[in-house]
Amino acid sequence: MAKPAIRKPKKKANPLKAAKVETIDYKDTALLRKFISDRGKIRARRVTGVSVQEQRLIATAVKNAREMALLPYSSSAR
Amino acid sequence: MRQYELMIIIDPELDERTVQPTLDKFLKVVTKDGGKVDNLDIWGRRRLAYDIKKKSEGIYAVVTLTAESATAKELDRQLTLNESIMRTKLLRVDA
Repeated sequence: MAKPAIRKPKKKANPLKAAKVETIDYKDTALLRKFISDRGKIRARRVTGVSVQEQRLIATAVKNAREMALLPYSSSAR
Repeated sequence: MRQYELMIIIDPELDERTVQPTLDKFLKVVTKDGGKVDNLDIWGRRRLAYDIKKKSEGIYAVVTLTAESATAKELDRQLTLNESIMRTKLLRVDA
């Protein structure tokens, strides 16, 4: 009986390590823009490839930046 | 005493030259209560990601300060009372 092949998702390279980012700051919009989609939504961890802890920091940073109008809540541009 | 970071969005109709003295006036509360203003960075006029109070621009300023929590809270309260301050965000640096 042939077992169904289990797809091993390829592990993504951590983009934060590549960019040598140590602290995630809500003022650094250039960095945070890499983690939001073109509609302004926060990208999922399986897309971004960062660790759980980093993803959480990114999410709060994006939310803080949104409150201060540095990043959009949503952009209708498609 | 704790380190805080305060970001302020000021009404763009205000003259940019008057921003510094206005902020200094607010920050007097900190020095009076034994705190310290470590850094004051005025970013200047910047486009907002969305309109606030029907305005699409704002003057941004970031202040780092060392103060008691009550002092920082009081400073934030006084800022929000002012009409020409559109938004503030007070965050602890180490948390």
